Amino acid sequence: MASLPGLSREIFGNVSAEARLLFYGLSCLVVAVLAQAVIRRVRLWLRGRPESGLPPWRTIGRNLWRLALLQRRNRGRTSAHAAHLLLFGGFCLLLLGTTLIGVEHWLAALWTPAGGGPVFHKGLYYAIYEPVLDFAGLAVLAGCAFFAHRRWRQPRTSPNAPGDWLVLGLLASISVTGYLLEGLRILREQTPLPWLSFVGAPLAHGFAAAGLTAAGAATAHQIAWWIHAVLALGLIGLFPYSRLLHAIAGTLRLAGGPVRLGNLRPVSIEEVEATGELGVTRIEQFSRGQLMALDACVACGRCDQACPAHEAGQPLSPREVVLGLRAEMDRTVLARSPGHPGEGTSDEGRDLAGEVVGSPALWACTTCSACAEVCPLAVNPVGFLLDLRRATVTASGLRGTPAQALQKTLRAGNPWGMSSGERMAWAAGLEVPTIEENPDCELVYWVGCAAAYDRRIQKVARSLVRLMRAAGVNFAVLGNREQCTGESARRMGDELLFQELAGRNLESFRKHGIGAGGKRIVAHCPHCVNSLRQDYAQMGARLDVVHHTEFLDDLLTSGRLAVKGPDGGNAAAPLTYHDPCYLARVGGGVDEPRRLLRAARQGAPFTELPRKGRNTACCGAGGGRMWFDEAPERRAGRERLAEIEAAGADTLAVSCPFCLVMMTEGLAARDVTTNVRDVAEILDDQLQSDSTA
Amino acid sequence: MKLLVPIKRVPSADEPVRVRPDGTGIEDDGRAFMINPFDAIALEEALRIRDSHPDGGEVLAVCIGDSEVEAELRTALAMGADRGLRVACEASLDSLSVAKILAGVVRREGPAMVLAGKQAVDSDAGQAGPMLAGLLDWPQATFASVITFLEDGRVQVVRETDHGLETLRLCLPAVITADLRLNEPRYASLPAIMRARRKPIETLPVADLGIQPRSRVVQLRMEQSTMARECVRVADTDELLHRLRSEAKVI
Repeated sequence: MASLPGLSREIFGNVSAEARLLFYGLSCLVVAVLAQAVIRRVRLWLRGRPESGLPPWRTIGRNLWRLALLQRRNRGRTSAHAAHLLLFGGFCLLLLGTTLIGVEHWLAALWTPAGGGPVFHKGLYYAIYEPVLDFAGLAVLAGCAFFAHRRWRQPRTSPNAPGDWLVLGLLASISVTGYLLEGLRILREQTPLPWLSFVGAPLAHGFAAAGLTAAGAATAHQIAWWIHAVLALGLIGLFPYSRLLHAIAGTLRLAGGPVRLGNLRPVSIEEVEATGELGVTRIEQFSRGQLMALDACVACGRCDQACPAHEAGQPLSPREVVLGLRAEMDRTVLARSPGHPGEGTSDEGRDLAGEVVGSPALWACTTCSACAEVCPLAVNPVGFLLDLRRATVTASGLRGTPAQALQKTLRAGNPWGMSSGERMAWAAGLEVPTIEENPDCELVYWVGCAAAYDRRIQKVARSLVRLMRAAGVNFAVLGNREQCTGESARRMGDELLFQELAGRNLESFRKHGIGAGGKRIVAHCPHCVNSLRQDYAQMGARLDVVHHTEFLDDLLTSGRLAVKGPDGGNAAAPLTYHDPCYLARVGGGVDEPRRLLRAARQGAPFTELPRKGRNTACCGAGGGRMWFDEAPERRAGRERLAEIEAAGADTLAVSCPFCLVMMTEGLAARDVTTNVRDVAEILDDQLQSDSTA
Repeated sequence: MKLLVPIKRVPSADEPVRVRPDGTGIEDDGRAFMINPFDAIALEEALRIRDSHPDGGEVLAVCIGDSEVEAELRTALAMGADRGLRVACEASLDSLSVAKILAGVVRREGPAMVLAGKQAVDSDAGQAGPMLAGLLDWPQATFASVITFLEDGRVQVVRETDHGLETLRLCLPAVITADLRLNEPRYASLPAIMRARRKPIETLPVADLGIQPRSRVVQLRMEQSTMARECVRVADTDELLHRLRSEAKVI
């Protein structure tokens, strides 16, 4: 490559000194517009409540690398993912390339190398630079073409559809004018090794073939240069005013890492007592991170696709929740800007709960967190809904059966409203020791209200006890001292009721040395497990909690628990498994229940449901929906029932009491004869020795 | 407008009621109590009337009993009642005694309307409301499912009877008793209960009303009803009819 040393191109070639000055002026203006708009957004976010400190810098760096640059959360829709990667990658490369040109130009101006040539924009660097940027332009064009095609084929009711077309048009035309500019430059400058610009070189040939002279190319180049420059500056200025805002807010949001599913915003009782407020009635009561997340949303609609309530035709659209709140954030800041008649007042806006987010939508959420899981920008619609629920409940705005469930929990310590004296009825004849009777136990079995009071779920608890006995586990229960974890109450927005119940339970835990470093807790309810793990951690507790599927899996693999293989009959009947949201998605327990089922039903045909693992579909009972009096055919989860019916299995295995109840009722309503059973019950069938009946 | 809502404390309906072995009453050790659900409906309606009335008003919740009933009075205040009044009385009361005490409270407070539950879910007598109207010589509408204020100041009440819906127009003051479908009562959350601690509860000895409660109805003994039922699953309606005819001999 003898010609490499002389390889370069002139920066601002064919652009007059006056034009450069004008360009610099325009650039400063655009940067000022961008900065002003970004500062305005940031100030909007800063109106929110401060949050506890940033994650460590290493974590932020890793998040930015994995989630923003490598686009790890952008999975799902395969072709859109690929197209976004091309568009995003191409854009980043072009942005980097243009920035390097700027750096080169300034370096050259500050420190003119001998001979007046470029500082680093030459030689081998240039030989790599040119084809890479040509490729980047093609990537952007391909991405634009895909998204334009999709938008054309499936027009969506996006709130900013014309703006979206403008963005796509700008991105595409910047690439196109860039290529034209390159072709004209090659023709004008007679750049050495023109084929390095593998798109620009053929264009230059084309121009020459069309009879364009070098002088004509110079004029055309000047015109194209200005068009290219104005389009590029326009795009920069448009960033904070268009869908491209997600590139700024979304990147910042992703720096904070993925959503911690099943984790709610902590509430300090001292603060509630001081302010008399709980939950969010004004937009600035959301946290700063939440307000930033509102701007991160790119309205792709994956949340709506994943939402079980949306699927069942209930009036909940997580996307509309986020977009509605964002519009409200915009509106309030307009209303309160200086000089506006409404300045300084806060209650002239629409009610967040009830108007911005309709009451039916607010209460349709099952908190299954599918929306937060699929969101490429890690926005958590559940968090917003929960804050609004809290305010609604505080203002006595909840009616009907869910209100009664809370009233019963308040009255009796469990949503069934049954007396705590009845808490051990499930264990009749099993002689299950309480912690007072067996203070030296290695582990505490958290029975939960469902197993204490629901006759069907009592059988699950009895099975689990038999399995633990068979494995020689030294356990005890809290007995009548156990209260509802408060999980349901908390997710229905009744934070104080939750804290009241958690306080009582934590008192029992302290008294009996239950906690990290002390006794473990095993529970068969994933909602209890999540609450004890994440909600109770916010109350200062450090507990070691396992779900019974994890615990039984440990017992099985360590050989403490032995089950018979298939013995014909029922054991060979076809089987399928429904992943509970709070076990699979929130808790990550996907393999353990499957291993248990394989052990219990070796050889039985096992069908996986179409949506499985973390991608599971909610039964419709989470987030307090269990307590809404709703016909099975209207519940979130009815499509799930159709999937189960289609699987045609003899037995549906579950590992959550709520799923068990909902699936049993739902399948019965559809006249499907599939047996719904807990994994523990299926395992209990295959116990080696028949212990207690 | 001043609205008076009597509140009765009743055993929670979620758990089975057990009679004490000596038959003197029900087991109340560790059992939960609640506002009589129909009283909660009456209170909810009173709150709605107050909040929708142009010149507002006051909702007064009244309980009769020992200091324990203040828990229910607090819940009523948390739901939104403005003021609580407990008529201190240890004696066990029949419907007429309750109506007499309430009549005393009404004469003292002078409300434009008494909104009560149609009956209490413990004794299920359904007498106190009508007796109160009788003692006061006020018009009454029982089993109300819709209450509307007319422009001439009268109140129109749709009541649910065994024969269908009956619509009445009443002049105030009046006694109205609430049926199930009148509304869905709100949930008094803990923050509301905390706020309600600042609301006043007045205690009024029953003697101060000039009443000496003397029950004409005396409860002698209570017995646990036996639930000796045998359930059989039948294959079809033919078998059901056959069994009802030949075995149960009821048709």
